Formats: sequence, structure tokens, C-alpha cells
Amino acid sequence: MIHIQRLSVSYKTERGQVPALKNINLSIPKGTATAIVGESGSGKSTLLHSIMRLLPPEAELSGKIMFEDMDITSMDDAALRSFRWRKCSLVLQGAMSSFNPVLSIGKQIAETVAYHLHLSSKDSYKRAEELLEMVGLPTFFSKRFPHELSGGQKQRAAIAMALACSPPCILADEPTTALDVITQAEIVWLLKEITRKNNMTLCMVTHDLPLALSVCDRIAVMHRGEIVEIQKPSGILNNPTHPHTKKLVKSIRSIEERGNPK
Amino acid sequence: MIKLIKNYWFRRIVGSLVVLLVVLILNFFLFRIMPGDPVSTIIDPHFSPQAKQHLRAQFGLDLPLYQQFYLYVKSLVTFNFGQSFLSQKPVWEELRTRIPNTVFLLGTAFMLSALLGIWLGVKAAQKRGSALEKVVLLAGSISFSFPSFFVQLVLLMIFGWAIPIFPIRGSLSVPPPSGMAALWDFLWHMTLPIFSLVLLGFGSWAIYVRNLMIKTFSEDYILLARAKGLPENKILWGHAFRASLPPIVTMFLLALPGILSGAVITETVFSLHGVGKFLLDSILGHDYPAAGAAFYLLAIITIICNLTADFAYGLVDPRIRLGRKME
Amino acid sequence: MKRILRRFSFWLLIGFILAGIWGPKCFKSSAETQVASPFSMPLWVKKDTSPTMSLALEPKREHVQFEWNWEAPPNITIWGTAKFEKETSASLILENPNGETILLAQNEGNTFLAVDVDGRDMSFKMGLGLSPFDDPMKELFPTKGRYTIKLWPPDLKIKSGAINIRIEGSRWGLLGTDQRGRDVFHLFLLGIRISLLVGISATLLATLLGVSVGLVAGYAGGLVDTVLMRIVDVLLAIPGLPILMVLAGIWGKGLWQLVVILSIFSWMGTARTIRSLTLSLRESTFVEGLRALGAKPSYIMFRHLLPESLPILLANIALGVPSAILAEAGLSFLGLSDPRIISWGRMLNEAHGFGAFTTGAWWLILPPGIGISLICLAFLDLGRTLEEMADPRLKGGANK
Repeated sequence: MIHIQRLSVSYKTERGQVPALKNINLSIPKGTATAIVGESGSGKSTLLHSIMRLLPPEAELSGKIMFEDMDITSMDDAALRSFRWRKCSLVLQGAMSSFNPVLSIGKQIAETVAYHLHLSSKDSYKRAEELLEMVGLPTFFSKRFPHELSGGQKQRAAIAMALACSPPCILADEPTTALDVITQAEIVWLLKEITRKNNMTLCMVTHDLPLALSVCDRIAVMHRGEIVEIQKPSGILNNPTHPHTKKLVKSIRSIEERGNPK
Repeated sequence: MIKLIKNYWFRRIVGSLVVLLVVLILNFFLFRIMPGDPVSTIIDPHFSPQAKQHLRAQFGLDLPLYQQFYLYVKSLVTFNFGQSFLSQKPVWEELRTRIPNTVFLLGTAFMLSALLGIWLGVKAAQKRGSALEKVVLLAGSISFSFPSFFVQLVLLMIFGWAIPIFPIRGSLSVPPPSGMAALWDFLWHMTLPIFSLVLLGFGSWAIYVRNLMIKTFSEDYILLARAKGLPENKILWGHAFRASLPPIVTMFLLALPGILSGAVITETVFSLHGVGKFLLDSILGHDYPAAGAAFYLLAIITIICNLTADFAYGLVDPRIRLGRKME
Repeated sequence: MKRILRRFSFWLLIGFILAGIWGPKCFKSSAETQVASPFSMPLWVKKDTSPTMSLALEPKREHVQFEWNWEAPPNITIWGTAKFEKETSASLILENPNGETILLAQNEGNTFLAVDVDGRDMSFKMGLGLSPFDDPMKELFPTKGRYTIKLWPPDLKIKSGAINIRIEGSRWGLLGTDQRGRDVFHLFLLGIRISLLVGISATLLATLLGVSVGLVAGYAGGLVDTVLMRIVDVLLAIPGLPILMVLAGIWGKGLWQLVVILSIFSWMGTARTIRSLTLSLRESTFVEGLRALGAKPSYIMFRHLLPESLPILLANIALGVPSAILAEAGLSFLGLSDPRIISWGRMLNEAHGFGAFTTGAWWLILPPGIGISLICLAFLDLGRTLEEMADPRLKGGANK
């Protein structure tokens, strides 16, 4: 579904070029759930933003990103607009700020629907309410404003928004940070359930390895702008090859051991 | 919830009334602590004591202070400002003909400069580092550091003397034309004053809006709006500008008292028939009833504008509309 | 500090201050004296019109020569007394390029020569043998070329005193003259003093007020805070210039009254800033620690909170000066300042009152206006630099 070849990204700053991604090669097959794991600053968010072509103007990109048979890196603005959200949507971290505080939730979902699916205003509001129901929120939430929702509710609404055009692929950028542990689990299972039911591809960025291990089919480990290892969860857990992965796995092991003294 | 809404608006209205009361008290005492008493300026020292006493009684100055204050508040609330010392006409008569001119001048100039400034500010924020942004920054510096009367005098010299296409003084030609011609004549006289106010005013708006928009552009919901594939204009106006609207409305609130100062100076430079010029002439001519009334009127205009701005803020920010202010 | 020294605005400001202190001292006469005919243009424009020339016969300078390359001037005035060493008959003579001489004045065998001649005087015209309706200037200045004014007999020495000659034209000095024939450049230099004095002292006073109120409100909190902040709200809601006008009109127009009036209505912003700073600092751990150590509130306020907020305060002062200068200029422009104090606002007030814009007398409008604008721009730039130094985050936003 997504094929990334020799992708490098660097940022222009006052102190010269700072590389963020170095020669990334990654394939995400259709219908799978892939996790990209790494500590902060390892370039995982940059990788996700490059797929959506959301990098700031001072970023320089080289290499190739193919989505199905489209080359994302060479798209013009019009093509990009119809690619975004209809083919691939995004759930951001920190649901707090992913909604515009002065517009109602329903409006923010409906405007996307109306624009991409060319629906009337009334129909798109109806669709927004259906979507909210799909993620387990009451329909009257469409009239609510972001500050009236709790963190978990907002993240559910963000997922509803991501589903607006039923895209074949959903990218999620640390969808569970800033949520409490119980809500985290709920949100991740919601994402997993919905993508599985609709046969969607899920690509999730997280620094939470246990979470990634429990929901995803494949794990890509990132370290300093490079992908150092891609394996199935069992492989990562049982025979990690890269020293950085070993360290990561060891860190959860030690927490588990402390949690269950035997 | 309804209680909360009431609470917010209730507090705003009470706040405005407090300001009004302070203005009333200030007005009352300011014009009574000046050297001598209010009538001393029109009393000829050669007047007989009886005549002086009569004049005092006429202005109510022989009563105890609290009664004077009561009468004074009553007269201001009923817009009965007494007689002008200078023209010997009722002050309200004098003011009434001037209010529409001042409101037109300020209203038009304020709206035009705000609209132009906001539009330029949004565009400058969108295109960082462009020539437009540099123009905006320059215009902002000018509006913060160039005295308005200087710019207006220079404009008068250019368009009244060097290229004489605009009148140099007055709100109407002498003798005034009638009918539709009067309207055109009025607009012709107002062009330069309004142009000067817009020229001086739009820069600070543009800078303010640019800074707000730059901050908004870094928010996640703008990134998400872009990820949603929305067209650039919708992101710019529908999301970024819409989210910046509440503080812009606050700016209206803060800018209004300042623009009243602009009225005094502009009307003086262009010799316009307005409340600001009337205030200045009254102060220079020691015409205290007139000065007090003009000041009171300007203060009332400010208070009303502030209150309106508060209501408008409530309309654009859902957090306020529901009666909860998050700060 | 280095960054400040690198700013052009800093040096501009230093230049203004030096010019304000020493500039007026370079003039021998007071700024109020008439130096040339009213509304004279600056010397460096319209060079085909005649300039105003001031000449003097003094000890060791018994004759003066000058080039006259223009039409006959509108008027000439000669005044003053020259004392001689002995009793003699003396006369003052104008020699024109054609070699003809004209007697301007003479004495009758005295130790001095006293002259008081105006070209428009009837007696002067009669002395030249003209009718009262003739223009004597055509007679005195028939052609272009080198003219000499000298004493006769030629060996006469002036012991003391001087005879002043002014040939009036329509150009004078660096910046021309105003409606009373005063030197605009001299007035301009004097204006620097008032602007800086009022601007800086009003801002300092306002800052003092604002800091005290802000510190007390922020540190005391509770009812004190609420009351003080309501006062701030109310003062902010009163239209600024109108109340300043009323106060200036009632309380008198002196310089210090003006400073006090300006500062009373400009401390609110500083008070708010300092209050919020104090609030955030009060909650910080190091202040909590100090309190735990038993430090008195006053000690914490003046030894810790104040130094902490000093950089922002400095920036606030620099940014506050322009508005004080503009307010002072505005009040003076409206005629609400002491007419004896020469300030830029007053200069513009007079330029407006005498219709400088209807006659195109730009040299009365541009110098004071540009002066105000430049000083304000310099302070603004300085303030922004200080602000960036106090809070480096601002810089990133400015030139990203």
C-alpha cells in the first residue's frame, strides 16, 4: 500500500542543515497495522508528516513515497488535496489541540465531508453524527465545542473525523499521549477494531512499545532518523537484532519483572 | 448554565456602570477644583455682590456639594447640559449637530483601517518574508511613532497646496450647497481626514493580526486542517482567522478610546465641525459647561463601544458565549 | 549590551541627546529674537531668490564686502552705534559694483556714529533724493556684483560697538524662519530637550507608579489586588486624550504639571505586566523556599521579584517613551501647553495656526514632525531590542 524508498529529510536552520530522516526504506502492506516505535526526536513524526506532505517549508525531502500507484512526492496542490483524507487520514497526538477551539465538533467533521464527498450541508452534518456514533459518542456531541469534551472524548471525535471519507489508510501520531491509562487502551482498541472491520491500513507512531506490541502486526523501530529493525511483535520480543531494540525490550522486561515479582 | 451567562453579562454591565460613575465623579470634581469657581471666569470683578450671588444661584453653586452633585448627575443623565458660556446657547444644541459628523468620521475611518489592516495582516502572516510582510512591518512602525497631526499636516500640504484637489478646512463648503450636492460636498471634505486616519491606523492592526495569525498557524488544528486536504483559503479564513477572531475583537475594545483621541486632533487639523474640536475650543475658551458635556459625551461613546465589543466577543468565542471565561 | 551598541537607533538617540544639550548653546542670541524676515525659506533651496544677509562693522573690521547676485532685496535695515577713538566726522557708505557710492548715514563731528535706518523710512528715502513712493532698493542695488559697505574717511578705527546691517531676503539659515522671523533650526534644537525631558520623566514616573501598584497587587492578592485591578480597568476605559486635555486645560500648562498628568494616565500597562510577573514568580519554588526561610515579603519583593523583572521593565520604559512623547506633542499641538516653552508640538501648532500648509512652508512642518517621528522610532527600536534580550523567544518569531 505505502512504499517508501530512500527517503531523507533535513531541516534548514540557522546552524545549517539538520538531518531528521536518513535513507528510510519501508513498505506497509494493505490491511495491516504497523507501529513505528522510537524515542522522541528519532524522526517518527517527521516520517508520518512526510507521507501526508505536511512538512514545513524549511524541510528538504529527497527519495520516493508511493501510495498504491501514486507518487506522493511529485503531486501538485490539487492532486494533494484530493489525496489527503480521501486516501489517507491522520489522527494527531494530544487531542487537546487537534480541534479548532471556536468551531463545533460537528462543523469540523462536516466541512471535511462536504468538501471531499460533495455533500450538502445537511447531509454532511448527518454523516458527522453517524461517524460520532460509530466511535461511541452520542450524536448531540456534534453541537458541542472542543473545550466541552474530555481528552478521551476528543480523541474519539478525532478518530471519527479521520473516518469521514472512509479512507483506505489511517495514520496516527501518538494517539494516546496525554490520556490516562484506561482511556489509552480504549482508544487504541477502538482504532484497531475500526480499521480491522473496514479493512483499513493503520500506521501508528508511538513511543509506547508494550502498546505497539499488543495491537500491531508489525513493528518498525526508529533510532536517530533511521529504521533499525522491522519485525513481527513476537520477533521483536524474543530475538531483537539491533542493540537499540534490545535496550527497548529490556526496559519493558525490567518493568514487568518489577511489577510481577516471582 | 443560564445563570452563568447572566453572570458574565451582568458583570460586564455593572463594570461599565462603574466606569460611568467614575467619569461622572471625575467630571464633577475636575470642573470644581479649578482655580476659583466655575462662574469666576464670566463674572466681571466689578459686578455687585448681589449680581454675583444671583449668578451663583443660577448655576446652583450656592447649594451644598451633595445637592450640587445630585443636580449635576440628573442634568447629565437627562442630557440637559446647561448654557455654554461662550455662545450663550444650550450646550446640547451645539453638540447635537456635531455628533453625526464625529461618528461618521470615526466610524468610517475605524472600519476601513481595521478591515484593511486585518486583511493585510492575514496575508502577511501567510507569506512570511514577502515584500508584503515588510510593508506591513513598516506601516506598523509608522503608526506607532508618527504623530497623527504631523502626517495630516503633510497630507494637507500635498493635497491642499501642492496638488490642490481637496479642501483644506471645514466639513462643508461656504456657502453650503443643498440637496444631493451637499452630500457629495461633505464626502469630498471628509476624504482627506478619513484617508489620513486609515493611513495611520491600519499598520497597528496589520501587525497585531499578523502576530496572532503566526501563533495560530503553529497550532495542531491548522496542521490537521491542511492534512484534511481543505483548500488554502478555507484553512486561512475558515480556520486560522476564525480562531484568531476573539482576540481581534478584544483589540476593537482596546482601540476605541484611542480613536476618540484621533477625533480631537483630526478635527482640529482639518477644522471639522465635530465633538472633538468642540471640546478643544471649550477648554481653550474656559467654557466649562461645554467642556464638561463634551468630555462626558466622549466618555459615554467609549463606554458604549466597550460594552458592544464585549458582546461581540461573546458572539465569536464559544467559551465566553457559554458564560465561562478561560484565562 | 553589545547588541544595543550595534543598533543605529541607539546612536541616533545619543546624537539627539547631545544636540539637545549643546546645540542651543552654539547660538549667541536667544531663540526668541527675530533673525530674518518671517517665513524665510532655508538657504539651500530656490537659490535664484535673494537670501537674508547679516553683516556687521566692528572693531578691526571697518568695511565689509559681499557678493549680490540677485534682484534688489525687499528691504535693508541698519542699526547700532560705533564708538571712535577721537572726535571726528564719519559717514557710512555703500559702494556698488559700478563704483558709485551712496551715503547711508553720517554724524556731525562726534566720537560715535549712531545709525537706525530702515529701508522703508520716509526720511531715508528723502535722504537718497527719492519720493516717498519710490523703492529705494532699486537705487541701492542696481546690478549684480560685489558691493562694499564702509566707513569714511578710510583711516577711521572703531574702538567699540558695532553697526549691524541686515539685507532682508526670502532665504535664511539651515531651516529658514517661522512666522515671527525666528530661526527654525534653533527652535528645532530646543524642541529636542522638551521631548526627551517630558517623554523620559513621564515614563519613569509612570513606571514607578505601575511597578508599585503591580508589585503590591500581585504580592498581596485578595481584596487589595481586586480593588487595584478594577482601578486599572476603569482608568483604561476612560478616553485618554480628552481627559488629558481637560486636566491640562484646568490644572495649568506648565512642564511638570504635564509630566504628572501624562504619567497618571499611562501606568496601567506596566502595573498589569508587573502584577502577572509577580503572580507567576510568587508561585515559583524559589520564592516559596525564601518564604520557608522566613524572608519578609518586602525583602522578597525588592531583592528578588524586582531584579527578576528588571529586563522587561527596561524594555517597557523604552517602549513607553514614544507614547509619552506623542501625547506631549499632541497636547502642545492642540495649544494646551505653555506658549513660552518651545517644543516640537508647539512649533506644529503655530505652523498650523499660521497656515503653513496653505503657503507651502514645509520647513515649518517637516523638521518638528520628523524629529518627533525619529525619536519615537529610535525608542521603539531600542525597546524591541531590549525586549528580545529579555525574552529570546520573541526573536525566533521575528525572523524565522
